[in-house]
Amino acid sequence: MTLAPHLDSKYIVRGELALGGLRDLAPSLRYASLLTEDGFSVVSVAGKEFDSDRFASMASSTQALADAVARELQLGDNEFVIVAAAHGHVVQVRVDDHPLVLAALFTDKETIGISLTAARRTARRLNTLLMAN
Amino acid sequence: MAEHVILFAGPMGAGKTSAIRALSEIDVVSTEAANSDRTVADKPTTTVALDYGEIGINEAEKVRLYGVPGQRRFDFMWTILAERAEGVLLLVNADADNPVETAIEYVKEFFALYERGGIVIGLTRADLVPRALIEEYANALADEMPDVMIPVLTVDARSQEEMMTLLMTLIANIELKQAVADSIGVGVGSGGRRAR
Ligand SMILES: Nc1nc2c(ncn2[C@@H]2O[C@H](COP(=O)(O)OP(=O)(O)O)[C@@H](O)[C@H]2O)c(=O)[nH]1
Ligand SMILES: [Mg+2]
Repeated sequence: MTLAPHLDSKYIVRGELALGGLRDLAPSLRYASLLTEDGFSVVSVAGKEFDSDRFASMASSTQALADAVARELQLGDNEFVIVAAAHGHVVQVRVDDHPLVLAALFTDKETIGISLTAARRTARRLNTLLMAN
Repeated sequence: MAEHVILFAGPMGAGKTSAIRALSEIDVVSTEAANSDRTVADKPTTTVALDYGEIGINEAEKVRLYGVPGQRRFDFMWTILAERAEGVLLLVNADADNPVETAIEYVKEFFALYERGGIVIGLTRADLVPRALIEEYANALADEMPDVMIPVLTVDARSQEEMMTLLMTLIANIELKQAVADSIGVGVGSGGRRAR
């Protein structure tokens, strides 16, 4: 039986590396989590005030609901999810080829465009990191 | 058109998703994700937000079926979906550890919906264990919550017919409760008896 990503040191170590890079790309990052698509936190950075398990569960539900809407409306694959609120925004992207979601919370100092670009680059970088043995 | 909103609750692997798929007359909206927790339930996917299905019980009545994720880490979805629901169809798999305690725990969790409409329990996967006496469940419930009336039936969550029987039992309970409330002129849920 293969180890689930949240229990697998390969995912944890490379996830930490990728999330560290995200902070450099977007300094207004408040919190970021790499989670399994069924809502287990693999790694998270910044934001000690957040409950990482709860954040991961909510990100998992949000991702699945957004994917379901795209599927229902026959829009093809859902590429990302954005929750834009008065005091910040959350960007979520899937990591290709893995049952993983990257979810990142930015303050309102960052534009959504920059946050989105940073999150997508981080997900691609993680995909590359995971390809190496 | 009259509508009923029913919540399907219970632990992961009990058969909530299977039951909604068996019952629904529309394509079910589902939110399955790869399951990283094979020790709790050995199945490839698990529900992470909701299942949604619909059935018409006659010309004038429609039933909306909402399934929740079983894992407690998704309990914010329980709260969101419970707000709209009138009753709970609680599924508990007989092959889990401590199924009787689990049943009671979930009844307590959704007790506000018992008071609003009703709860029924479907004991699933009973064919996989040597004994799954429904009397055990009924007795444990009676001990724990003496004033509470919750029907317990053995069902196969994959069976449209068996799930329909359980669902109609729940709807009958809800309608009875509403009729009683109307006749004595109080809102359903107010002044109901609490467990203990
Ligand atoms: N043998 C047996 N399998 C069942 C029965 N009811 C449901 N199942 C199976 O148990 C699993 C339940 O999974 P699922 O519907 O995803 O459960 P959920 O987590 O409550 O949504 C499925 O593989 C069903 O086919 C039953 O009465 N007997
Ligand atoms: Mg399910």
